[in-house]
Amino acid sequence: MNKITKLISALAFGALSTSVIAQDQATSLDQLLKQLEQGQIAQSQENKQREAEFNARKAEQDNMLVDARNTRDQAVNRSAELEQTFQDNEIELGNRIEALNKRMGELKELFGVLQQVAGDARSKFTTSVVSAQIPGRGEFLDQFAQSMGSTSKLASIEEIERLWFELQREMTENGKVHKFNREVVAADGAKSNQEVIRIGGFSLVSNGKYLEYIDETGSVAELIRQPNSRYLDSAQALTTSNGDVVPFALDPTGGSILSLLVQAPDTQERVDQGGAVGYVILAIGAIGLLIALERFITLFLVGNKINRQLKTDVASNDNPLGRVMLVKDENKNADTETLELKLSERILAEVPKITSRLTLIKIVSVVAPLIGLLGTVTGMINTFQAITLFGTGDPKLMAGGISQALVTTVLGLVVAIPMVFISTLLNTRSRGIINILQQQSAGIIAERAESEELAKKGA
Amino acid sequence: MVLFIELMNSIREFLDTGGQVLTVIAGVICLMWLLIFERLYFFFVGYQQMKKRMVQAWQNRAERSSWNAEQIRIANVSRVTESLNNNVALIQSLVVLCPLLGLLGTVTGMIEVFDVMAISGSGNARSMASGVSKATIPTMAGMVGSLSGVFIVTWLQRKTKRRTEQMEDALPLAH
Repeated sequence: MNKITKLISALAFGALSTSVIAQDQATSLDQLLKQLEQGQIAQSQENKQREAEFNARKAEQDNMLVDARNTRDQAVNRSAELEQTFQDNEIELGNRIEALNKRMGELKELFGVLQQVAGDARSKFTTSVVSAQIPGRGEFLDQFAQSMGSTSKLASIEEIERLWFELQREMTENGKVHKFNREVVAADGAKSNQEVIRIGGFSLVSNGKYLEYIDETGSVAELIRQPNSRYLDSAQALTTSNGDVVPFALDPTGGSILSLLVQAPDTQERVDQGGAVGYVILAIGAIGLLIALERFITLFLVGNKINRQLKTDVASNDNPLGRVMLVKDENKNADTETLELKLSERILAEVPKITSRLTLIKIVSVVAPLIGLLGTVTGMINTFQAITLFGTGDPKLMAGGISQALVTTVLGLVVAIPMVFISTLLNTRSRGIINILQQQSAGIIAERAESEELAKKGA
Repeated sequence: MVLFIELMNSIREFLDTGGQVLTVIAGVICLMWLLIFERLYFFFVGYQQMKKRMVQAWQNRAERSSWNAEQIRIANVSRVTESLNNNVALIQSLVVLCPLLGLLGTVTGMIEVFDVMAISGSGNARSMASGVSKATIPTMAGMVGSLSGVFIVTWLQRKTKRRTEQMEDALPLAH
């Protein structure tokens, strides 16, 4: 089809160009007419010739078409053949793979087990303190597990035997208490070469201090916060012993309990968690304690002096009861009513000295838990602010805030409980003294007067 | 003997699960009951002797109507009241302290629970259990201690008041 259109366009072009040539040469209308006539004749001749040529080549075109069809059929046949071969090969391949899998069956299971064991052993070695003594076990296990995981590589017998050896070595070392020298990072960051004692797979101890093994850096560091002295003593005993049997406190989790110890806050940090409110409570408590101490001493001294006064008849000026008794000596001849008035006047002057500042202690004991409550509420507000900012997703975030809030309550109670006790003690003491002054002083004076009279009569 | 050791062991176990606050509460309750028993002994033995002595001294007096006699009577009644009231206020304050200490135990136990949560997350109920037992046992112990004392204290206070009045009646003024 394409060829035919090209042919036609070529023919049209040829006709145009001849007519253009004829036009150029025409000088008169007659001549033009003549030329046109001639041109027509020439054109028809040419067309005939072309038709003849075209008819002559038609057979050739037919031949070409047949050839092309043949070629196509051949190609289709070849494609079908190749497809068949491909399918055959595919089946063959499937069969071969199946056969391979059948033959590999148990071996593959073995590789799976090896990979799993290597992975488990790797994670176990990560936390094991034995790694502090024998470094570099982890890398081998990593490589081994990787090569087991990939299908292209097979494990060699040496590698499998090495895994067995490492497991056996871990087991054997777990049953030993072993001394060795290695670099230890102290709590202040200084590094030094020390003798380290490893107790099975449980703890590392050096110079009476507990150590921790950090797998990421492969280093051994002193615990920043050491356990109680009870446990440190046992570690010290182990360091200095020469093969004797020593009781020792070990960490059965292989270091994770000891590492949690670092996170647990001590008393100082606990108090700091209470914040400003906590310090206010403690300050109030300290003030209350000082006042209570001063009151204790004063009341104790006054009480002693009154007891001494009760035993003698001679009124002295150094205690409240003595001063009340002096009223009688000062007004020897007064009648009873005047004496009673003078007595109550003197007693009224003495009582405030004894009861002063006792209400303050009572107030401290009441106010301290209230401030503690205030701290709790402000702490809770902070916690809820954290929740509005970060959401409830992280319980750790909230738990920290809540434990801080509770610290102030604890501080409030810790101040209030002894204060309640102290204020009761002080109140009973002062009430006893006041009772003696208010209800017994007149009686004592009367007793004294009577015994004097008796003495006079006797004389 | 074995029974005694078993008893001690179970008590020690209980004190361990309750934490340090429980030990303090136990001490407070012990002190409170010691004081209560001392009071009961005084009420039934010491007071009777004191009363007898005072009534006898009063009866032996030649005159019981002067100002002096009246003042001496007031002083004597006051002395009796004082010795009757001795330690009662302390017992009462210990009764009040018991629930306060229980509250302290609760709060410290809760702090422990929240510490565990802050370190290990809220997933592990087992690790929180020790904090919860430290929070609840002292509260219970404080309540029990307080309740055991509160009845005795009210009884003591009422008795003291009655005895004071009886003492006043036992020392009559002659008119």
